[in-house]
Amino acid sequence: MNYRDPEIRDALAAEYVLGTLRGQARRRFQTLMMQIPSLRESTWLWEQHLHGMNERLTPVEPDQAVWQHISQRLGFTVANADIDTRVATDIADVQTSAPSTSPQSNVVSLSSFKTRLWQGAASFATAAALILAVVLVKQQSIDLPVAQQMAVVQGAESQALWLIEVTERSIEVRSTSNFTPLANKDYELWMIAKGVENPISLGLLPKSGQLSLPKNSQFDEVDIVALAVSLEPLNGSPNGLPTEVLYTAELAIL
Amino acid sequence: MTMEQDTLLGLLSATAAGDKQAFANLYKQTSGQLFAVSLKMLGRRELAEEALQEAYVKIWHNATEYQHGKGLVLTWMISIVRYRALDMLRYHKVRKEDQFEDGQEAMFEDPMSGEGADEGPDITKTKLDNCMGELEPQQKQAIHLAYYNGLTHHEVVGHLDLPLGTVKSWIRRGLQQLQRCLAL
Repeated sequence: MNYRDPEIRDALAAEYVLGTLRGQARRRFQTLMMQIPSLRESTWLWEQHLHGMNERLTPVEPDQAVWQHISQRLGFTVANADIDTRVATDIADVQTSAPSTSPQSNVVSLSSFKTRLWQGAASFATAAALILAVVLVKQQSIDLPVAQQMAVVQGAESQALWLIEVTERSIEVRSTSNFTPLANKDYELWMIAKGVENPISLGLLPKSGQLSLPKNSQFDEVDIVALAVSLEPLNGSPNGLPTEVLYTAELAIL
Repeated sequence: MTMEQDTLLGLLSATAAGDKQAFANLYKQTSGQLFAVSLKMLGRRELAEEALQEAYVKIWHNATEYQHGKGLVLTWMISIVRYRALDMLRYHKVRKEDQFEDGQEAMFEDPMSGEGADEGPDITKTKLDNCMGELEPQQKQAIHLAYYNGLTHHEVVGHLDLPLGTVKSWIRRGLQQLQRCLAL
């Protein structure tokens, strides 16, 4: 098929935007769009033609939880620079206070931060169960270095993304099949320690499979409040600080 | 329309620069519209909210990639949520077919049929409305089913009770006619 033929191009773009181009054909079209600028432009034009149909739809307010999930996914609820002190104080707070719902506009408010921690605490039970499961499996394999501490990094829907085991010498990380990495980004692991101003990098996380990270010399010397995962450009943080914190996880002593 | 575009463009540029408050504001101003789109396509609230959530995460990450050639800011955002919803329809195909069997026709109502609350008498007809109005009623219906409800050619066949070839060519010719009309 000659995709540069205006008629074919328009017909395909129109059906792509309409939504009737499905499966293989749709994926092939997406690839072609990356290669052929005129196909891309034709698609944009059809988006402009057809999306006017949506003006006829009456807006429907989504549930407030949607915004909370979005801001959690994007790590808005954890500020980068002063993360350590906030985690330290808020973990204490959250154990005594009820969860609070944050207003939509209050993106980086302390209350939404607490909500996040509260939700973290609620899903800790899941993490604990996972840890137990892994520990039980571990007991059968005697050769491997014994894990001393462990954490499960969970996504927005409490799905386990990485399993982290800390042994005497290293940090063993496994990514799970729940995790879909962005090709043009890396994911960096940090520890947040009490009384230490900035998070300390522990290295880049594997995008798939398993990886052994060297244990930072400070790891056993500081009081670790939490681990954090940030989204970074390839090869990690350009300035030694997390660019965008995606998740935090508690470290459990075994 | 231009005022809305200016406001949204301001918010989107600030979002591209990493302004979280602007992004929250953008969400506040557009989420109702985008949710209506995903709800119409996916039918189920929890799926529609999932699509919405993923669309906004993508909007945050891709805000720098918006450019005028892609149309109005709202058009660009609607595209993102629509493509996400289409992806999800593939994975939740079973649900769609179940609904056909259950005869839940309510979700297939035509928002432009004039009976719903969507169309007030004060709404001025756009060029698109006029051009859609020039199509054969069944052609228009097929396009609406595909567009609003995310139906495949096969699903449109099930709904209109016509041969697949007919549905395909109606949609194709309908779109061609629409393009000629809009270009005038």
